Amino acid sequence: MDRHEGFREFVLARQQALRQTAYLLVGDTHLAEDLLQSVLMKVAGHWHKLARGGNPEAYTRKALVNQYISWRRRSQPEVPSADPPEHGVSYDEAALDRIVLRRALAKLTRKQRAVIVLRFWEDLTEAQTAEALGCSIGNVKSQTHHALARLRTLAPELSADFQEVAK
Amino acid sequence: MTRLREALKGMADEMPAPASTVDLAELALANHQRNRRRITVATTFFATVAIVGVMTAGVTLTGARQVAQEPATKTVPDLPAGSVGALSLAYPTDCKQVREPKPGIDCSEAEWQVVTRVGKTYRVPQALTHTVKDRRVPVALSRDGRMFAYYSRQAQTYVVRDMEAGTEVTSPVKVGEERIDIGSMLVVSDDGRYLAFDPREGSKQPGLLIDVRTGKTVSLNGEYEAIGIKDGLVEMVRYRKTDLWLMPVKGGGKPVRFDGTYIMFSELAPDRRTVAAVEFDELRRNKLTLLDAKTGRMLRKVPVRGVPAKAGLVGVRIWSSASEVVLDYQVGVRLRSYGLNVGTGRLRHLADYPDVGFKQAALPGSW
Repeated sequence: MDRHEGFREFVLARQQALRQTAYLLVGDTHLAEDLLQSVLMKVAGHWHKLARGGNPEAYTRKALVNQYISWRRRSQPEVPSADPPEHGVSYDEAALDRIVLRRALAKLTRKQRAVIVLRFWEDLTEAQTAEALGCSIGNVKSQTHHALARLRTLAPELSADFQEVAK
Repeated sequence: MTRLREALKGMADEMPAPASTVDLAELALANHQRNRRRITVATTFFATVAIVGVMTAGVTLTGARQVAQEPATKTVPDLPAGSVGALSLAYPTDCKQVREPKPGIDCSEAEWQVVTRVGKTYRVPQALTHTVKDRRVPVALSRDGRMFAYYSRQAQTYVVRDMEAGTEVTSPVKVGEERIDIGSMLVVSDDGRYLAFDPREGSKQPGLLIDVRTGKTVSLNGEYEAIGIKDGLVEMVRYRKTDLWLMPVKGGGKPVRFDGTYIMFSELAPDRRTVAAVEFDELRRNKLTLLDAKTGRMLRKVPVRGVPAKAGLVGVRIWSSASEVVLDYQVGVRLRSYGLNVGTGRLRHLADYPDVGFKQAALPGSW
């Protein structure tokens, strides 16, 4: 069996979820592809260790987040105001929420954005989020609090929802 | 599931599935092996060559974000001294994808470029695009495109250039580069005399109104965002309530409160009383609201007709006449401007802007 077979299977099985996480982190299709590709390159290099009892998914997620946070000179290509609706001229409520949320996410710090994605998209626990970010649980709680507070300011229309989430 | 989770899921679903022709695993393995060969085999000289090769091959293979085009800096002339005419657009050029020393994006060579009304493009390398802390630095165009305000690292403050006269005025008030934070905003008055600077959008950090002729400053309430300066009034909005404060440039005045949540405010109409805005719940219904800026009263709703297919409203901007307000729509990846007749609700196509991507394009009177 090819020694990279496990890596190929892993990528095939998880690629869409990883692409989506990368996209939520950077907010741009091309940058997300770049981010994921650079991380998968590292994962490929460590695969022989990961295949021996490691947790490839957790490692990849952690690498994704760390790489995203360490991109010191990342451009922010997101449109600061709105995206075109997917369904022609009529905005449904969900599309509107996405527009508002995208705009708000673009204004968070990288770590705050990563916390939001890990906690509320990946549905990780505080402990798992702390592991992925390489910080303490207290730091995750604090980052989450600050991120939600900032989202409340930036997207007041959704503030009731954020308050609900924060509870 | 909460609206936050739903919205995150909705955003995630926007990420298209990988093309069947792209094998992410094979690309990663190829890049990894190429990288290893470069590190272990090459001599110093060949390593240098190999790095370039890997960079090029990597970009080509991944099919991902294109490296910024060189011609942007080689074929576009510098903004000359003297008059070039009013501007229709300013935009920052691409950042570069780099693989060394660490993979990432390098914005150190990005620069502002401006497009005149007659379509000529010029580089403005003296206008800063990113701070040392990698915060994006805004520029501002006056309503008529005559004044161009930008941040000069050399001067450590803002400079206002009159594009018709070709003259420049450097603000006598220094604004440290470190004050420019996430989502910083800038607006300039039509005569170029006043600049309103908000260090961080959405925060309570106070902004600053600068009279670049006298050096006098007025602190701007941090709970408001300055979105325009016209006829001696600074238009400031507080979004949560929603409040509008037309503050005289000397300070003073008081805000009015609107009943409802409004976004995307226009400037004050020529009648010096009306502003157009979008009620948040009505964005999807293509409806604009006219509001009385003196009393806070809602004047009337204007259903917008003739909205182009697949267009998303990105801003309500300036009044081109007493009856027409300019709306900006994103259609695909392009920006288009339309004039909305507030009497009939009809749209009139005004301008298409060059495809400068999803960047911080600045339009006359935009914020």
